[in-house]
Amino acid sequence: MTGRDYLGEFEHIILLALLRLEDRAYGVTVRQEIEFRTHREVSIGAVYATLDRLETKGYVKSHRGDPTPERGGRSKRFFRVTPKGMAAVNRTQRALVSMTEGLGFIRSCS
Amino acid sequence: MMAKPYAVEPPRVATWLVSLFTLARETESILGDLLEEFSDLASSSGAAFARRWYWRQTLKTMVHLVPSAFTVAPWSTAAGVVVGFTARKLLGPLPERMIFAVLERYQVYEHHFATYMFFASTGIDIGHLITFLCVGGIVAWMAKGTEMAATMVLSLFFAALGVVAFVYLVGKTGRLEFAWRLAWNFADALAIVVGGVVVRLCRFKATTLPLGC
Repeated sequence: MTGRDYLGEFEHIILLALLRLEDRAYGVTVRQEIEFRTHREVSIGAVYATLDRLETKGYVKSHRGDPTPERGGRSKRFFRVTPKGMAAVNRTQRALVSMTEGLGFIRSCS
Repeated sequence: MMAKPYAVEPPRVATWLVSLFTLARETESILGDLLEEFSDLASSSGAAFARRWYWRQTLKTMVHLVPSAFTVAPWSTAAGVVVGFTARKLLGPLPERMIFAVLERYQVYEHHFATYMFFASTGIDIGHLITFLCVGGIVAWMAKGTEMAATMVLSLFFAALGVVAFVYLVGKTGRLEFAWRLAWNFADALAIVVGGVVVRLCRFKATTLPLGC
């Protein structure tokens, strides 16, 4: 296994947001979900830059929705996690859990 | 589908900047996302708050999307930069040669000394500026979809070279007059980006993608 098999922090967060949002995952909802859960301001550019990277790696797929009037007649770009992306999330999650096991730092930080 | 008219519009300059710096295939979705959130914010928190939010998003988006061009389209972007660097090498000496050829052909030195001095100094600088503008156009033409990223990288490279040369010359001679030369270097670097903007805008006009609206 190489280091490339693990996700970066923001990649991991984005993939988890996509999994939470299921078929409602597009730029606005992904950005808002991350802001709501992590309490940090995220730019739409950061979201798209990471999603593009994940799509290049084959971890996500995207498709265009219909144009809507509230978006000035522009279409949404919906994203979903591929099986390869799901495997990467699981792998990274397992590694994180394994690394934090027994440290009890979550208890001490709260 | 017809676009619905909005009572509060997002800042036009910010929208224009987002259109320039996003990857061509993403412009529509990013502008749509920004407009959707802007409209919600404008109705819930007021137009001024929404405008500030829009500007913050625009600047952060530009910072994130320029480097990401090298991940999404690495070959065309890098090829654009390399071709631009080569074009600068090949075209760079041309303005000087051409201007001196014309000056000598019409013996300007003999008859109009002031004109000769203007063309032999400022004229050459203007020639270089036009050359850099063309180089920016070539780079952007090569780096289709990532025009701004490619031209900005090349522009920063030449600006950095100018600064290094300035520091070296001032350190060696102690003459601060070279600051004027540095200003021309920055203008040349800026011309590369302007060339990129021109090509990007022409491409937008050629397609039906909305720009800054």
